Amino acid sequence: MTVTTEVAPAPRRSSRRGASFRDAGPPVALIVIFGVFAALSPQFRSFGNVQNIVDSAAVLAVVTCGITFVLMMGSIDLSAAGVMGASALTVSLLVANNRNGNDFGFFGILAAVLLGCAFGCLSGLALVLLKVPSFMATLGVSAVGLGVATLMFAGVQPNISDAALKGWAVERFLGFSYLTWIAVACILLGWLIQRYTRLGRYAYAIGGAEEVLTLSGVQVRPYKVAVFALAGAFYGLGGVMVTSQLGAGLVQAGNGYDFSAITAAVVGGTLLTGGRGGVLHSAVGVLLVMVLTNGLVQVGVSPYWQGGVEGVIVVAAVAAAVIPQRRRNQVVK
Amino acid sequence: MSTSAATAAAPVAVKERPRLSGFMPIIALVALIAALTVADPDFLTQRSLTAVSRTAAPLILLAAGATIVVLCGGIDLSIAALASLSTVFLALWIPNLGGLATLAVIGVATLIGALQGTAHVLLRIPSFIVTLGGMSILSAVALVVSGAGTVRVVDDSTVKWLDLYVAGYVPMSFMVAVLVVALIALLLKVTPLQSWVSATGYAESAARLAGTPVDLVKIGAFAVSGACAGLAAVMLVSRQFSGGPTMADNLLLPAVAAIVVGGTAITGGHGSVWRSLAGALVVTLLRVGLPIVGVPSAYEQILYGAIIVVAVALTLDKSKVSIIK
Repeated sequence: MTVTTEVAPAPRRSSRRGASFRDAGPPVALIVIFGVFAALSPQFRSFGNVQNIVDSAAVLAVVTCGITFVLMMGSIDLSAAGVMGASALTVSLLVANNRNGNDFGFFGILAAVLLGCAFGCLSGLALVLLKVPSFMATLGVSAVGLGVATLMFAGVQPNISDAALKGWAVERFLGFSYLTWIAVACILLGWLIQRYTRLGRYAYAIGGAEEVLTLSGVQVRPYKVAVFALAGAFYGLGGVMVTSQLGAGLVQAGNGYDFSAITAAVVGGTLLTGGRGGVLHSAVGVLLVMVLTNGLVQVGVSPYWQGGVEGVIVVAAVAAAVIPQRRRNQVVK
Repeated sequence: MSTSAATAAAPVAVKERPRLSGFMPIIALVALIAALTVADPDFLTQRSLTAVSRTAAPLILLAAGATIVVLCGGIDLSIAALASLSTVFLALWIPNLGGLATLAVIGVATLIGALQGTAHVLLRIPSFIVTLGGMSILSAVALVVSGAGTVRVVDDSTVKWLDLYVAGYVPMSFMVAVLVVALIALLLKVTPLQSWVSATGYAESAARLAGTPVDLVKIGAFAVSGACAGLAAVMLVSRQFSGGPTMADNLLLPAVAAIVVGGTAITGGHGSVWRSLAGALVVTLLRVGLPIVGVPSAYEQILYGAIIVVAVALTLDKSKVSIIK
C-alpha cells in the first residue's frame, strides 16, 4: 500500500521540471482559452470586450494580490467579503455622501484601507495568539466585518457624491479605467513587497518550511500578523473600488470575492500548501478566471453558472497541484 | 487487532482534557435561559420555548451532520448551500413525486455529500477547499434550476407533517431533529464507527496503519452531513411553503458556531453530536435573546464571528498541532 511506506524524496530534477511546468502552465492556458473563445465568438474578440474584461478584473486583481501573500504562507483567508463590506461602508460614509455631512475625500479612502488593515491584524492575532486555524479565524472575522457593515448601513443606503472617487470607475487613461491602473499599481507594489522586502521573503519561507525558519531563530509570529494585515489593506482598497463602481456603499460589496480570489490565486499557480506562487502568478490567474467567465457568457452560458465554473476550476486546479506530491501527502484534512 | 490499539488511546486523551468542558455547552445553555428569564420574565413560557425549539430544528440537523465531518478532522462548508439546493429540488419535485420527493431529496443530498467526500479522499484536496468549491457549484446549480427565484409549493400536504406539534406543544421538526441526533449517536455507539471516526480525527496516519478504513469513514461522514442537510431542507420547505436558491445560506455560520460552541474540537477526534445539539440551542437562544436584552439584531453577525473564534480557541487540542496554518 502506498501509505505504509515513507516515500523517498523525489529526485531534485523532476521537482524542478514540475515547477517550471507549473509556472508556464497558467499563461499558456490563458492564451489557449482566449484563443478558443476568440474563435467561437466574434463579440468576444472585439477590442471593447477585451477592455471590458481587463476593467472588470481590477477589483479581483487587488483582492487576489492580498490573498496571495496569505496563501504563500500556507494559510487561507476567507475574510475578504466581510472586510470589503466594512470598508465599502466606511468609505461611503466618510467621503461626500447623502447620509451625513462628511467630506474627507482622500482621507476617507485611507481610513477604509486602514480599517481593512485592522481586520487583517485581527485575523492574524487570532491565528498566532489564540492558535485558531486561519480558515476559522478569518471566517469569524468575515462575519464580524459584515456585522460592522450592517451596523453602519443602518437601513439607509449611502450614495456617494465624491467626484474623484466616482471618477475612478468612469474616467479612462490610455483606454483603461483608473481602477485598472490602480490594480496594476497594486500588483506592482505586491510584487515589490514579495520580491524585495523581508515580509515577502519570509511569507515564502513560512509556507515552505515554518519549522526550519523557527529553528533558525526567526520570530515568525509578527510576520504572520503583518501578512494578514497587508492582505486586509488590499481588501480594504478592494472595498473602496467596489464602492466607486457602484456609487454606493453596500454590505454585500465583497460578496463572492473571497472565493473568486482563492480561485484566481490557485489557478495562477499558488499552492494552498504554501511556499510557491506569487503576485504575478495570481495576476495571470485573475485574467484566466475573468476570460473564462466572460467568454462563457459570450458563448451563451447562463451567468448563474459563474460560481459553479469557479468551483469546478478551483477543485481541479488544487487537485492538479497535489498530483506531484500525491504519495508524500499522507494526511489531508 | 491493531484497531483496538488506536481506540484504546482515544479515551486516555479524552480523560486528560478538563472534565468541565464536557458540561460547558449545558452550563452555557442553562445560564443563557436563566439570563433571558431575568431579562424578560415572559421568556420562560411554553409558547416561547416552543418557538425556540422550532427555530432551532434545521440548525440542529445541519450542525449534527457536519459534526461527524469535523470529528474526522475535516470541515464541511457546503451544508448551507446544499440545504438551499435541496429546498429547490423538493419544491420542484413535490408536484410530480408527492411524498416520495422527500426521500428523493434526502437521497440526492446524501449522494452529493458522498461525492464531495470522494473528491476529498481521492483527489487529496483539503476538505474545506472541496466544500468551498462545492458550495459555489451547488449555489450555481440552485440558481440555474430555480431560475434565481423562489419556487412556491402549492400543495404542501406531503411535507406538512413536519410542521405539526406533538401533543400540541413540542414541534414535530424538533422531535425529528432530536431523533436523528439520537440515531446518529446510537449508530456510532453500537458499531465500531465511533472508534473509527475518532481514530481518524485524532491521528489519521496511525488509524490508517492500524487498519481503519479511513477513506470510507470520511466519505461516510460527508454522506451523513449531506443527508442531514437534505432533511433540514425538508423542514425549511414545510415551514416556508417554498424553496429558494439562497434560503438556507445564512445558516452556515450559525451551524459552524453551534459545532464549536458545543465543544467539538475543530482539529478532530474530540466531541459528539449531542454537544452540537446543545450548541445549536445555545446559538438559537443567543439569536432570539439579543432583541430581548435590547441589542439590535445587526450585532448577530458580529456575535457569530466572535463566538466562532473564541470557541475554537478554547476547544482546540493544542498539543496535537505544533504549527497552525
